[in-house]
Amino acid sequence: MLHARTVLVFILFLLLFLLSCEKELPRYYDFQGYEFASVDPEGGTWKPILIENGAAISIPAPESTTSVPYLQEVEQLKDEMARMSESDVKAVTYWTQNPIIRWNEIALELIAKYNLIPGPNADGSYTLPNPANPNGPPVFPFSHPPYAVRALAYLSVAQYDGLISAWHHKFANYRPAPYIQDKSIQPLYADNVIPSYPSDGAVVATVSRRILTQMFPLEADYLEEREAEHLRCLLLSGANVQSDVDAGRVIGDVISSIALARAATDGMKDAQAPKPVSDSLAAAALDRFGWQWINQEVPQRPVGLTPLFGRVKMWSVDKVEDTRPAPPPAIGSPAYEADVAVLRDYAQNMTQERRRIANFWQDGLGTYTPPGHWNEFAKEFIVKYRLNPLRSARTFAYLNMAMMDGGISCWDTKYYYHYPRPIQTDRTLATIAGTPNFPSYTSGHSVFSAAGAEVLAYVFPEEAGVVRGWAEEAAISRVYGGIHWTFDATVGTEQGIDVARYTIDTARKDGAD
Amino acid sequence: MIQLIRLLLVGAVGFTLPLCAQTPSDAILMNAKQACFLLDYNYASFDHYWEGAVKRDNQTIAMVKRNSVMPMVAVGIFDNLNLYAGVPYITTESTMPNGGRFAGANGFQDLTVAVKYRWLNKQFEKGQLAGLATLGFSTPIANYLPDYMPYSIGLGATELAYRAVVQYKYNSGWYLRGAGTYLWRGYAEAERAYYYNDGSYYTSLMDVPSAITAEAVVGKWLFSNSLQVEASYFGAKSLSGDDIRAYSAPQPTNRVNLDRIGLFAHYFSPKFTGLGILAYYNRVVNGRNVAEMNTTGVGLTYFFNYRK
Repeated sequence: MLHARTVLVFILFLLLFLLSCEKELPRYYDFQGYEFASVDPEGGTWKPILIENGAAISIPAPESTTSVPYLQEVEQLKDEMARMSESDVKAVTYWTQNPIIRWNEIALELIAKYNLIPGPNADGSYTLPNPANPNGPPVFPFSHPPYAVRALAYLSVAQYDGLISAWHHKFANYRPAPYIQDKSIQPLYADNVIPSYPSDGAVVATVSRRILTQMFPLEADYLEEREAEHLRCLLLSGANVQSDVDAGRVIGDVISSIALARAATDGMKDAQAPKPVSDSLAAAALDRFGWQWINQEVPQRPVGLTPLFGRVKMWSVDKVEDTRPAPPPAIGSPAYEADVAVLRDYAQNMTQERRRIANFWQDGLGTYTPPGHWNEFAKEFIVKYRLNPLRSARTFAYLNMAMMDGGISCWDTKYYYHYPRPIQTDRTLATIAGTPNFPSYTSGHSVFSAAGAEVLAYVFPEEAGVVRGWAEEAAISRVYGGIHWTFDATVGTEQGIDVARYTIDTARKDGAD
Repeated sequence: MIQLIRLLLVGAVGFTLPLCAQTPSDAILMNAKQACFLLDYNYASFDHYWEGAVKRDNQTIAMVKRNSVMPMVAVGIFDNLNLYAGVPYITTESTMPNGGRFAGANGFQDLTVAVKYRWLNKQFEKGQLAGLATLGFSTPIANYLPDYMPYSIGLGATELAYRAVVQYKYNSGWYLRGAGTYLWRGYAEAERAYYYNDGSYYTSLMDVPSAITAEAVVGKWLFSNSLQVEASYFGAKSLSGDDIRAYSAPQPTNRVNLDRIGLFAHYFSPKFTGLGILAYYNRVVNGRNVAEMNTTGVGLTYFFNYRK
């Protein structure tokens, strides 16, 4: 009896110890505000993407630092800072002085939230998300990889152009931050000597809210709240007065309108083609090559994902056909049969390592998609190399432009060749990843990843080997998953590298190097 | 007594595994000399499930089938304290045709180790009242992937089960039993670095919701205590978690609630001392983020004295 009790008590203690192992799981990238590696006083002269130059957007001249209105603003700021609550301090610490990181995370979160493919209706039909009725069902948007990469591209490009304009005005006006004007102000961020008029943070806040609201209309209220919190933190940090913020918002609004005007006419609204158009693409491939991709879902989806995404306006490539690879092996050819054997072998001999790779890069439904994954890598390098907001925006802009161009090129290839997925032509195959609703050749993961890796290798040359290795792993992961042919992956990787070259050529000429 | 094995296992495998073995002397512990082996097999399947609170089918997975084999051992350490250990081997797959063409999964699932302690055993004029408490610990023993639902063979999380059981057995052979459990669950590890659970998570760790369960059983001993039959209700409720998202795969972070009813019979051979066979059926009748699982199982039990 006594023995039994002793054992029980011992076990209870053991269990209580185990219970204390609960921890907080990371919801965002936890990093400390840092001193920027460079200030880039010439940043205002860099070549933007959408506007002629940084001076193309004008803002009012700032009040001088000795003027009454300015001194009043500083006093107001000191008042506000004195009344800061603990949650204010937490918010200021969260946003940091490189808030592009946070807005990029917000974008990825919304992509993951809306990356849900509409299921079938009771009668076996499918309803498409409709921007005119975003509440649906199904809700708008379905943020699949093409949608996601485009949203990220417009977000990043508008941020970048807005910050070039901000940099132009900052160094033209040179109004130092309030904590430099008034030594009694204790700044909450690292001391980065970048002039404060206009506020770069406010440019980023307003651009991000506007672009993301257009892309995710049901999130308008949420995004407005995040913007308001961010703008308030710009003041509470001691880095900006209200007029800095107001001027930043003007730039943010102007550049957002320009970016959204391009988005409205880039061809995306026609990308989800109607069935007759979709059928004609399949028929053309059947006629030309003797094969066509057919959706294998039950009930069958009548139209693949965005058949005309390949016709969306590219950022750095004039003619998408210039980046279209040679045809895949004919069905039944020796090269094709050899790959069938490879896929069967993978399916029958799944290893822990191949499973891990297939899952790590899957980035499927309900996630931030492959372009999102590469944005996450970029974020970590930006912090590692202590980039300032302007260079951070530049990194994201070229990264997402290259990946969007890569996606457009890939989709052009997919619907031109209309090549079947492995499970369509080999009924014995089973997969460990979901087979997407579009043709196989070339692999989207491969093109997105190679394009993203090339831009990151250009911006962070020390990481070139690492990121290119990742891109190859992402490519082959789809073959391990059983949903792509080996040549989808290898040719897709080459295609991504090729498309990124156009973007990097543009980048090299923008004045930042 | 080894009835508790099955109560333990119910929780240990995320409610999805069937009720397991039951043994002859329901609310009486094996004494310090006895041991018992159990070999259980069950087949379970579903073609509908609850996505949040909405019941649906899904041709991507068609009907999902699961086969489980579980060996288990129970040992009387002290007269009032028994030790249990068991681990199931599970295979899963979809029927053809299906729209997803996913490979199934198979492997050893979680090792469960538990101790059961009897804190009350009182004889009344009309029957006998017994009270028991169980502490269970279970953890995956192989590298199966919990983030591969609905084919995952388990939740992939370490689990601690705290359970109390009270039974009243009438002299007529009828008995009533109630049990309540708190299940603390740790983290499942996915093979991806990001997932969405009402917001972003930048980690491969998934917080598997802890849960409470309740069970009510009515049963009777028949034919001079050689056949035991019972009917049961089992309910479980997660204490946190998100809903399965529209037309999406479930994930270990989901809030899982369920109501399940079941039948169970255990027959003890008068001819071969110590040998018993059992059979059971149970069905999930209502739930949230759970499969409408039908389970049918059979098992063999063998009792013996492992020391003098």
